[in-house]
Amino acid sequence: MASLSVRSVSKRYGPVRALTDVSLEIRPGRVHAIVGENGAGKSTLVGVLAGFVTPDSGTVELDGRALPLGQPVAIREAGVDMVHQHFMLVPAFTVEENLALVRLGGLGGRLDAPELAREAVETAARLGWSIDPKAPTGGLPVGSQQRVEILKALAGDKRVVIFDEPSAVLAPDEVEDLLKVLRRLADEGKAVVLIAHKLSEVLAVADEVTVLRHGRVALSTERAQTDAEALATAMVGDSPGQRHAPPASGATTLPDRADRPSLTVSGLCAKGDRGNTALDGLDFTVRAGEVLGVGGVDGNGQVELAEVLAGVRPFTGRADWTPGRPRVGYIPQDRQSDGLALSMSVFDNALIAGLDDPSLTRGPFLRLGALRAWAQGLVDRFQVKTPNLAQPVGGLSGGNQQKVVVARTLATRPDLLVAVNPTRGLDLKASAFVHDQIAAAAEAGAAVVLVSTDMDELAALAHRTVYLSRGRFVDRLVGADA
Amino acid sequence: MKRALVTVAGLLLALVLTLAVFGVDVRQGLSLIAEGAFGDKFGVARTLVRATPLVLCGLGMAIAWRAGMYNIGGEGQYVLGGLAGAWVAKALVGPAPGLANPAVLIAAALGGALFAGLAGWLQVRRGVQVVISTILLNFTALQALSWAVRGPLQEPKGQLPLTERLPDTVMFQRFDPQTDLHAGVFVAVAAVVLTALLLWATKAGYLLRLVGQNPRVARANRVDVGRAQIGAMLVSGGLCGLAGGVDYLGLIGQVGDGFSQNWGFLAIPVALLGGLDPLGVLASGLYFGALMAGGEGLARFNQLGPTLVYVIQAVAVLGLVALNARSRPKPVVDDD
Repeated sequence: MASLSVRSVSKRYGPVRALTDVSLEIRPGRVHAIVGENGAGKSTLVGVLAGFVTPDSGTVELDGRALPLGQPVAIREAGVDMVHQHFMLVPAFTVEENLALVRLGGLGGRLDAPELAREAVETAARLGWSIDPKAPTGGLPVGSQQRVEILKALAGDKRVVIFDEPSAVLAPDEVEDLLKVLRRLADEGKAVVLIAHKLSEVLAVADEVTVLRHGRVALSTERAQTDAEALATAMVGDSPGQRHAPPASGATTLPDRADRPSLTVSGLCAKGDRGNTALDGLDFTVRAGEVLGVGGVDGNGQVELAEVLAGVRPFTGRADWTPGRPRVGYIPQDRQSDGLALSMSVFDNALIAGLDDPSLTRGPFLRLGALRAWAQGLVDRFQVKTPNLAQPVGGLSGGNQQKVVVARTLATRPDLLVAVNPTRGLDLKASAFVHDQIAAAAEAGAAVVLVSTDMDELAALAHRTVYLSRGRFVDRLVGADA
Repeated sequence: MKRALVTVAGLLLALVLTLAVFGVDVRQGLSLIAEGAFGDKFGVARTLVRATPLVLCGLGMAIAWRAGMYNIGGEGQYVLGGLAGAWVAKALVGPAPGLANPAVLIAAALGGALFAGLAGWLQVRRGVQVVISTILLNFTALQALSWAVRGPLQEPKGQLPLTERLPDTVMFQRFDPQTDLHAGVFVAVAAVVLTALLLWATKAGYLLRLVGQNPRVARANRVDVGRAQIGAMLVSGGLCGLAGGVDYLGLIGQVGDGFSQNWGFLAIPVALLGGLDPLGVLASGLYFGALMAGGEGLARFNQLGPTLVYVIQAVAVLGLVALNARSRPKPVVDDD
């Protein structure tokens, strides 16, 4: 018998059809993956299932009883809960207190956090997790915070648990562990819904796969009857386009060309924003034309390393470019917070890269006409979909926002290019485009440092890869199979 | 453009509604205001003289707020500008009267700039929010003024808390002996042009805007954010101080306890309603200058007169907030 039946659900936002006539069955004891590109309707569908979005039409039934759509609390009480992509945790609370939050009675109720959290702590033990209930949540590693989030979602007798892109924040070995947990929950008889970007994870764990495209179900199939290519085809509608071919013979190094310009780093140390030791003695060289991959679990010094190389974080030790001084291009990790001023126009966001170009400025003044032509050229060359240069960049899609960042960074023809997770949150086409641009920049002679938590991305682009762990380089990720 | 029209229509509507709410015959009220503001050469002069400090201080607010520095200290910077001007005038009027006029303007701008720059420095280097420090520094400036005009800058007879009156030769030229209209209005016009150039056509102005919209982007591109923020405060305070200097040289040539008429505070809504854009500030400064001039005409017939400007400003700013809340930029492509 079907556990959760989605029947003909449709939802429009103004002129945009987010979901059109979507139907699917989610069965107990199985992991049901929902995949699709950005904008395919995954988030809207999850929102409907969790009660944050009220559909225009259609119903959702749990064991034959209609779910109270649009009412998150009632839906949770009915037995459907969700593990959010962005953690819904109070960092200053202990694990126990966070777990107790979902079980609080009314305002007058007594707060006995250990008692309220007892069941969740037992669940943790059953899943084989060692979590200190008294530890402050904010100080835990990301993987452990996610476990707390999962324990919250499991509170009570949950029938359906939805995971919204749970691997986005995890390192490869943590992902492996997470997939085991999904499997285990399904084996216990729960229906598990996995919203995912990465096909490799879907294929590793799912029993059934539903592909959304433009808000419709493009494919619904058993895992055994499909493969990565079929899923990718269903996602994009045609062949996904050649993903960027790995550099000749994969992860071998370039022939050593010592005469090429290069960045030599030795004994590099830097502090993080909280005064912690973020980088603890790094030594490496990256030459023009080479892509150096830096992998590792988020929060082990990647962002700090990128900022040091980009010249925006103080450091000790040496980082020397020979010969001369390099032009540095920096694609920061988070385009919405560090990459773009969302309320400013496409023109203004590109302009930062044109300030040092003597043909675009005259002393302290901007040559506005020349700058407009230059910015329009970037928009054309990088195929940024925007009605005009005056469009606020926040109104563009994620892929086009990232294109603005990449376009302006590469426009300066950097000698040293530093990119952090440059395709995070982008769909296949936009990712392939960004990858092509980075590879082309390297071919044109840039030394590239690519910091990424995505092993596929590193495998596709990097000539060699080092891994960061607690601010030091290690040869490979323990437990990583990439 | 559309936005400007909506603002103008809204301001007129606010005026009509305010008159109606206070029980003034709307037609009679409007005609009294219009007459007081533009009816004759006295009205026009009154409007322009009042608009001058509003525009100058409004430009100052616009520059600071564009950079994300919420300067509330226009009043103190205006006062300090006047004070610095009076101090330089006292030193120069005797030995070098020919230099006194421009020197007073320069000193006024410098005084305001340093005063605001201090608040900017406190925020950038010591984490003291400009909103708080500039409010407090307003009182500091007023106390400094009060002390100076009873001490070192007091007029020679030592009877009144005022500085000695400037000789006419140092004052701004008057266009007509019967009105107050003085050459200082050209300073305001020039400031509009220069600030517009700064904001839209220079690297510094662009960086200032970028820092205001997203300092993290600026930092990721190796822009010295603190320098841009302090720079914005220096220019902002400079313009407010300049307003003080212009009024000192244009009106009575004396500085005393009542030197500022809340120009620094009135300038905040002027800047906001002008869209933090120099041309918009010019338009809204003229509008409120006219209201002040016209309100004085109205005051002879109705108690509403003097407070009219404050009521309209409040109504208009609330309307602006509502307008902003409604007009979020629409996405071009919906992103899931």
